[in-house]
Amino acid sequence: MKLARILILSAGVALAISGVAPLLERIFADSKPQVQLNVKNAQPREVEDVTQNAIVRDYTLAWQAISTSLANNTLQPLNENFAGFALDKFTQRVKDQKQNGLTTRIIDHGHKVDAIFYSPDGAAIELKDTASIETQVLDGSTVIHSDQAQIQYYAVLTGAEDRWKVRVLESTAK
Amino acid sequence: MRKVIYTGLIIALCWFAEDCARAAELRVPQNAVAGQPLSIGTSGSGTLYLVGPGQVIKKEFKSGGSVDIKGEELRSAGRWIAVVRGDSNRSQVFWVKPGKPGKLNFLARPSRVPVARPNVISGVTFIFDQYQNLILDPTPVNFNLSVGGAGTTKTVTSREGVAWIDSASAPKAGAAQFVASVDDTSVARVVQQVAADPCERSFRMHVAGHTAQNIIVETDPIRDCSGNPVPDGTIVTFIQTDKTGKSTVDARIKKDTARAELPASDNATITMAAGVVLGNELHVGGR
Repeated sequence: MKLARILILSAGVALAISGVAPLLERIFADSKPQVQLNVKNAQPREVEDVTQNAIVRDYTLAWQAISTSLANNTLQPLNENFAGFALDKFTQRVKDQKQNGLTTRIIDHGHKVDAIFYSPDGAAIELKDTASIETQVLDGSTVIHSDQAQIQYYAVLTGAEDRWKVRVLESTAK
Repeated sequence: MRKVIYTGLIIALCWFAEDCARAAELRVPQNAVAGQPLSIGTSGSGTLYLVGPGQVIKKEFKSGGSVDIKGEELRSAGRWIAVVRGDSNRSQVFWVKPGKPGKLNFLARPSRVPVARPNVISGVTFIFDQYQNLILDPTPVNFNLSVGGAGTTKTVTSREGVAWIDSASAPKAGAAQFVASVDDTSVARVVQQVAADPCERSFRMHVAGHTAQNIIVETDPIRDCSGNPVPDGTIVTFIQTDKTGKSTVDARIKKDTARAELPASDNATITMAAGVVLGNELHVGGR
């Protein structure tokens, strides 16, 4: 009798874990994209270790901000992580989405990033990013487009007060 | 049996025809360029959404044919998604390339630099089209650094949107114009080139006079090794050593020379320095 109870309890716990685990995985996958940075090809200056860590942290935050902003049509996350042309463009995109009743859900499967240029004074860095991204465009709650692709992005980041901000983020056909 | 095969073939043909018809409902361009007009092929009626990197365009269409997008509407380069909602729902991805160079983002460092130093000035240029799209195709960029009309020009071809150079500062002091240009787009920055450290061979002082209590020493006009006057305000340190000890005076250069009053002594050695450069040594008094 006791054995049966334990078995039932174990089965219940296993069922709960199997249900919750993918959900948690999805939540963390959405909230923190994986960014792998390679700085071996950066020119003309070598990327310092501290800078390398900061770039990974801030580029990750930037993608997180894109996902949140485009999914909810909010500008605040963009303002914290973007500047210049990139901020102008994403701000316009969010405004246009809002006006047309659209949202975009980005499911981020990770970024393989190469630093390709680091300015001699250390003020700007250019990254080449191969991103695995699933994009869903929604009209209200209806998905009107869905695709999954590897997309190549070029990003230019510059140092701001307390972090690196993305100034340019442009996708290009490989 | 034959009837069954015919029926099957007809069904397959209808399927294929329907697929062809549906495929024709959304035709996206293959070579779209930001700032240039665009036609999207549609059929039936509905709404066309174009979701781009930095904008969303919405167009209603009724009789099919093509939906025209004006050049000034299509501003963002990159990955676009075209979605048709209406008689049938379809979507496709297409790419928009950047237009011609129209803007340069030019970082020139530093803003103030000593003359005649190798590789001290760096210029970094990011090339954009008029709609702020980074141009990734190789583009020649001219860098020109000049003071008073005389200068050097170097052409560098951009790689993945960026071109950069390291340049020596000119031998002449003054406000140098550092210009980056692509076709008829150019951006200028000013790099102030200042005299370098005093030149050791001409950094000399002499006794300029006496008072009852003091001896006055003064430098010759102080110049760097290219002949540029060292800026006013630069500090020159005079040190007098005699049997009573050391006296030190920090004097600023004023109108090319520095001057100091030191205590009169019957046997003293006076030295001077500006930064790491030492001048001549003077012996005063003595028997």
